[in-house]
Amino acid sequence: MLAALIALSGVGCSRLSTQAAGKRMIVLGVDGMDPVFVQNHWTELPNLNRLRTEGDFRPLATTVPPQSPVAWSSVSTGMDPGGHGIFDFVHRDPATRGPISSMAEASEPGRTLTIGPYVIPLSGGNVHSRRAGKTFWQILSENHLPSTVIRMPANFPPADCEAESLSGMGTPDLGGSFGTFAFYTDDPAETRTEVSGGRIVRTSLSGGRAALTIQGPANPLRKDHAITSVDLIAHVDPKEPAVRFDLPDRQFILRQGEWSEWLRLQFPFISGLKSASGILRIYLQQVHPYLRVYASPVNIDPEEPALPISTPGVYSRNLAHTLGPYYTQGIAEETSAYRAGLLSKDEFLTQSRKVLADSLRMFRYELDRFQDGLLFYYFSSVDQNAHMLWGRYDSDLLEIYRAVDQAIGEAVQKAGRDTTLLILSDHGFARFDRAVHLNTFLMHEGFLTLDDPSNVGNEELFAHVDWNRTQAYAVGLNAIYLNLQGREAGGIVQQDEREEIAHQIAARLKEFKDPVSGLPVVGQVYFPEKEFRGRNLKYAPDLLVGFHRGFRASWQTALGAVPKLQIEDNTQAWIGDHCMASSEVPGVLFSNRKFRVAWPRLEDVPVTILREFGVAPPREMIGEPVY
Amino acid sequence: MDFFNRAIDAVLKMFFAMFSWAPPVLGLTVISAAAGVGMLWVVGRTSNQNRIKQVKRSVAAALLELRIFADEPAATGRALRSLFGSNLRYMGLALKPALWLAVPMALLLIHLESFYGRAPLTPGREALVTVRMAPGWNPESAPPRLETPAQVRITAPPVRAVDSREVSWRLLPVSEVSDVLVFTVNGTEVRKTIEAGRRQRFVPGRGVRSAVATLWEPGDGRVPSSAVEWIEIGYADASLPVFGLEISWLLWFFVVSIVVALLLKKRLGVVI
Repeated sequence: MLAALIALSGVGCSRLSTQAAGKRMIVLGVDGMDPVFVQNHWTELPNLNRLRTEGDFRPLATTVPPQSPVAWSSVSTGMDPGGHGIFDFVHRDPATRGPISSMAEASEPGRTLTIGPYVIPLSGGNVHSRRAGKTFWQILSENHLPSTVIRMPANFPPADCEAESLSGMGTPDLGGSFGTFAFYTDDPAETRTEVSGGRIVRTSLSGGRAALTIQGPANPLRKDHAITSVDLIAHVDPKEPAVRFDLPDRQFILRQGEWSEWLRLQFPFISGLKSASGILRIYLQQVHPYLRVYASPVNIDPEEPALPISTPGVYSRNLAHTLGPYYTQGIAEETSAYRAGLLSKDEFLTQSRKVLADSLRMFRYELDRFQDGLLFYYFSSVDQNAHMLWGRYDSDLLEIYRAVDQAIGEAVQKAGRDTTLLILSDHGFARFDRAVHLNTFLMHEGFLTLDDPSNVGNEELFAHVDWNRTQAYAVGLNAIYLNLQGREAGGIVQQDEREEIAHQIAARLKEFKDPVSGLPVVGQVYFPEKEFRGRNLKYAPDLLVGFHRGFRASWQTALGAVPKLQIEDNTQAWIGDHCMASSEVPGVLFSNRKFRVAWPRLEDVPVTILREFGVAPPREMIGEPVY
Repeated sequence: MDFFNRAIDAVLKMFFAMFSWAPPVLGLTVISAAAGVGMLWVVGRTSNQNRIKQVKRSVAAALLELRIFADEPAATGRALRSLFGSNLRYMGLALKPALWLAVPMALLLIHLESFYGRAPLTPGREALVTVRMAPGWNPESAPPRLETPAQVRITAPPVRAVDSREVSWRLLPVSEVSDVLVFTVNGTEVRKTIEAGRRQRFVPGRGVRSAVATLWEPGDGRVPSSAVEWIEIGYADASLPVFGLEISWLLWFFVVSIVVALLLKKRLGVVI
């Protein structure tokens, strides 16, 4: 009997190996590629057009809500948000109701030894992903099938396995944020010190010299966690529009309007003994009459990563040795400085092209060395540029689409006839014309109360909310939470009132009309317990708001502010978005083979990948194979 | 001083030319081995060999004593004291040859730095050349004029760093070059060698005005203009490829010279 079982198990293994042996699949993730935009530009996108005619093309149903970390987590794990536990870019801490990252969490070392101002960790602190579930490449790896997964969003720190992977969206900069730039100027007209995603530093020139302090990470080895820094000295020529910059180990000159190459900086924790390595780029925007210098967020150095950004750990180093330094920050396109008016549209586009060039260089390297198994590669550029260009600067956006289309053409060529090629996007795009202050809406409808009605404004983190008289609040871009007793600290909504209040809010949202245009604001309101399944449903918001095209939750809503108006014009440079009703912004699915399903959805992708390699998807994966 | 520096460099350049067909490590290995033999010879000629033998014997005796009488504290203490004293005597005896060796070795290493320590510029990659002006420089005045060979482009206007009295140019070597940059400062021409390319070669460091400073900054000779303190091109440090590793040439020099000295000490009858 035992011998028979062993023999049978051998047959099973060899059958799997035979099915998978030599199998090749290329999957390209193009964040934010919109089906309508693509359909309107077939002639300018010849490779996608060829795929459509020779293979197949479908709109791809996205997740609720259609946000990238949510959607790509579904692609990674084959589960809906109830399973993988990512419901928004930001979640809220029920103890404080303050926003927290939905993607990763850092923990301090458990035991430490204090010597003077220094704290020596005796047990490791760590950073872990909040995304639950097993990824498709972990499953491939368990089945001894090779895969390379580059820049998958919400994969920081990268899922532990033998596959080669590089983390993507959600990877912080060296300071631990999603990307904080610095802008140095002696222009007296610039009075701001902080903008969203960046800080503005006043400098003073003395003898033509200014010290620009580049901030690094907080020093984990000091009790006070002092911010580490390196001085970049700017020597401004008295007449010429050029500056010489001095770092401890190198000097370089930039003319006005030029970007530096990647600069490597060491931020000392203990001088000469321990430091963190980071890389950044400098842009000299203006020299006279006032100095204006932009410094990119300090990216984790892929050659000496201070945090885990790849599996195996040496993979990011190998890429850097071959390709030179590259962006490691999860979202590298500098939308924040553009939104703050510190970079012009052309300057943003120049920076964005650098990010794309960086990405294409890595893509071509990986495509060239791809031999066997799975190659997944993610492009962020379409999404980030669409946010800033959608509906107003189509020709600029088309340039980005064309660059990605060219990369797709290279993948088509590499794939030939024997490799399955799948191209998908996580969502499409729509105009973002009107910013909806959801907390103000809740206040008007009597679900949220301020300590004093006159305290409306842009102050974040629910600064003036009276929690004893508040039933619901909004955080993030689609989420509404009830102030639930036993879950929220000091919550007032009883468990038995929960459903009724949630339905009341949903009904009011559906009746909500834009006071200016009279158009309905909300198309759908989702109840997570009806939409999702899985063990992490308990972390879901109580309601998810699906806006009509043109409307989106305001930036103030995302961070817990209660401004005066319920809706106002979006006057920012961020003019396109997708955080709406899922049916409004489907993604795309292309392949060099015909699909058998008419309406594929994101969760089908990992199941398809596993099936292609002859691996049975786990029960938690809810999709169907598309072939 | 210029003549002295040029003479040393000429000898080393001849030697370097003999090994131009081979990877740099080969020539350096030969120089290092020769330096090891030279050091051994100097030690043999300048040290008190008999005293060194005696001291080494007493060190060996003390070590033996420590092993044999490990369980007798008084004997162990005596042996440790003897060991300490013998080591001090040994260091004292090594001082004289060290002093004899210091100057020629320092000169050799300073000159070898130009051959192995600096990497030529990489064609297609920008680098800076900086001129430090003498005190009294007027930063409002026009910067020095710079002429470059055809293979080197100036890609940005000169930047005057007022507080440090420096003027920097950004250069782009477009191809292999071994030529000079010509600066015109107050009517005087000042030349600075520029090297770009893949092949390791003689790459002079900072050119200086002070005669004394040329001792540790040899290469291009003294800067002839009193308006200039020094001129420097931002060469990167070179690394020496050895068995697939990139190491410092200095490390390889000391490893080879010490190994050679240890291997040949008996043959040459030198106690070290």
